[in-house]
Amino acid sequence: MADPYKPRAPFAPWDRRQLPGTFDVEETARRVGNYKWAEMKLFEALGGWVATVPELDVKMRLGTHCYHHAWHAELWHKRLPELREMNPDRLTVPANDAMERFVEALTEPEAADQTIEKLVGVYRVFIPHFIAAYTYHRNNTSEITDAPTIRSLNFALHDEFDDWRDGEMMIQSLIETPDEVDRAAAHQAKLEKLMLEAGGIAGPGSIGGQ
Amino acid sequence: MRKFFPVEELARDERFTQITMRQSEADPRTVLLAEPTGKRPKTNRLTPDRPDASEAARSLMHGIFVGEIQALEGAGRTCFDFETGSGDAPDTVPFALKLDMARQAWDEARHVEISVKLSDWMGSEIGQFAENTVLFEVACSNDPVLRLAGVNRALEGLAIDVFTTMKEFGDMAGDPYLEFCEDWMLADEVTHVKMGSDWLRRVTENDPERRKNALEFQSVVDKIFSFGGTRSDSNESPIGLARRFRELAGFTNTEVQEIADVSLKALEERKAFSAASLNDGDTEHSETGTGTEQLADA
Amino acid sequence: MSVTVTPEAFRFVQFDSGTVTRVAQELIAALGIDRPVHIEIDETTPLGRVRATIGAADGDAIAISVESGAFEDSRRPRQQSEAATAVSLGRILLRVRDRLHGGFGEAPADDDLELRQMAAWETYCAGRLARLGLHVNQQRWLYNFRNRHGFTDTADAGFHQLWAADGLTWGEVDAISTAATVRS
Repeated sequence: MADPYKPRAPFAPWDRRQLPGTFDVEETARRVGNYKWAEMKLFEALGGWVATVPELDVKMRLGTHCYHHAWHAELWHKRLPELREMNPDRLTVPANDAMERFVEALTEPEAADQTIEKLVGVYRVFIPHFIAAYTYHRNNTSEITDAPTIRSLNFALHDEFDDWRDGEMMIQSLIETPDEVDRAAAHQAKLEKLMLEAGGIAGPGSIGGQ
Repeated sequence: MRKFFPVEELARDERFTQITMRQSEADPRTVLLAEPTGKRPKTNRLTPDRPDASEAARSLMHGIFVGEIQALEGAGRTCFDFETGSGDAPDTVPFALKLDMARQAWDEARHVEISVKLSDWMGSEIGQFAENTVLFEVACSNDPVLRLAGVNRALEGLAIDVFTTMKEFGDMAGDPYLEFCEDWMLADEVTHVKMGSDWLRRVTENDPERRKNALEFQSVVDKIFSFGGTRSDSNESPIGLARRFRELAGFTNTEVQEIADVSLKALEERKAFSAASLNDGDTEHSETGTGTEQLADA
Repeated sequence: MSVTVTPEAFRFVQFDSGTVTRVAQELIAALGIDRPVHIEIDETTPLGRVRATIGAADGDAIAISVESGAFEDSRRPRQQSEAATAVSLGRILLRVRDRLHGGFGEAPADDDLELRQMAAWETYCAGRLARLGLHVNQQRWLYNFRNRHGFTDTADAGFHQLWAADGLTWGEVDAISTAATVRS
């Protein structure tokens, strides 16, 4: 065994984490508050839709995914006080009015024959934007000072990718006609335009380039 | 999407047929009436030595399956129907309560998956038996505290009784899957009951009147979910009262005894009602249903 | 052969005695039963037991008593299911035919059959009904057989032997059942 008293580098040769990051504490808290609000709206919608979809496999997946997003909301809720926000509700807000309108439009479909619209809203628009915002945040925040956020982002991203794959496969299995392709595309475009206006889950700059 | 989704619109594929509790209770036929002839067994408890054991177990399993679907739907709706807030008023629920309901939705989704697999193992088809929608009705209350009392304490309490009966059935029959699966689901249900008890206490901490109303509602639901005596301490009931697991779930001895009394009363009332119906011969053919508890060897 | 059904009209269930008669006639023709059959339905119970008596009141008639659950549509309580009617009648008529055709002389009376013996005989009947073209869920009968013989490979082998069989005697049915209960 090597001499335990011999000085070693504090960062091992394979540990290439960097100190600088794009976000300060305040900006991180703002983004995390937006994430929490959006994850809450998503899990609430998924829970509400369970009773409205006749397809048994979809019903069960929505119930499962509902919890994934509730857990993400809980992770962000717990992170906020660590970011000097002692009243998490204050920052649990939509990024802007357009994001609120996006969620209203997302949750509009209710009828039993609108499963395609429900799934497209979640799995072709909302979740891809979560993946984008979380990925940008993870790759741009300080790997040392903001390690707790990165850990939560990685957990959340793991779920988001799995859920996106589940959702996309359900959509593909439900779409059987060219008309249904058009329906899915039209709904996606409608929601994507609102998301464009919102600028992403955390508003403009969600994925940089502001 | 509307807040407060009506039970009549619960979405199902074409394999399912739904009936209400009222339709179910309108069936005057009963196994209990024929007892005086001496041809029927002294006990109705679901055990493998009953001649109709396999059919009764299959039917009950399908009842569990559709019950889990409705429990999933109910938990999901509680995530959506109420704004996040203090929970002091009936139009809001605390954030942490919503998280628990989301967790319950996942648990119930798993239970649906398990029930589908078990039903297949037992030779049932999806939708083979009528679906009684009373469970979701209870989950539709406008006050979230009533949902906790009705669903988490009364209904999930019943689930503890049902799963215990089915676990014992599987154990006695030597069915490796049934005993294994019911044991896992039982663990989840104990958690759900505790969740309901904890939240009921916390949300109504400063509102004794609201708590009283919730507990009264629970009592009514306990009686409804005794399904006219399908669940009670009496051997005339197919499903027993799982006292030990109920205690694990946080029910006090007094509460368990109250449920036992209510269940027994429901059994007696059902017998009296059926006897009267048979004597009158006054049957509305527009009504249907024995619900999920058909004990037919058909 | 004549088929009679009582009651002709029902108070507690929405059954049609004409449908029962037709289904029974088709079955006795398919099974080659040459005796009159009387079916009595007890509509006061949702249970589903079916019993038969050979050589009833008028000599060689077959009397079948049925609890209403046996003919019921489990999806629509108190409504009749033609499929359930056919399978329930088919099972009892096959047992009757087995007893009438010989080889089943030493079979205990229905009330005296052990649960495993009943499960074995029912399996033998259900397999034959499936080959007649009736809708029979094999897994359902496998589950019933396992409940009576054990959840083992040996039990499953016995089940499949009975399911595929034709022309067995009671001794053979009982022997397969007995062997199926042996734990490997």
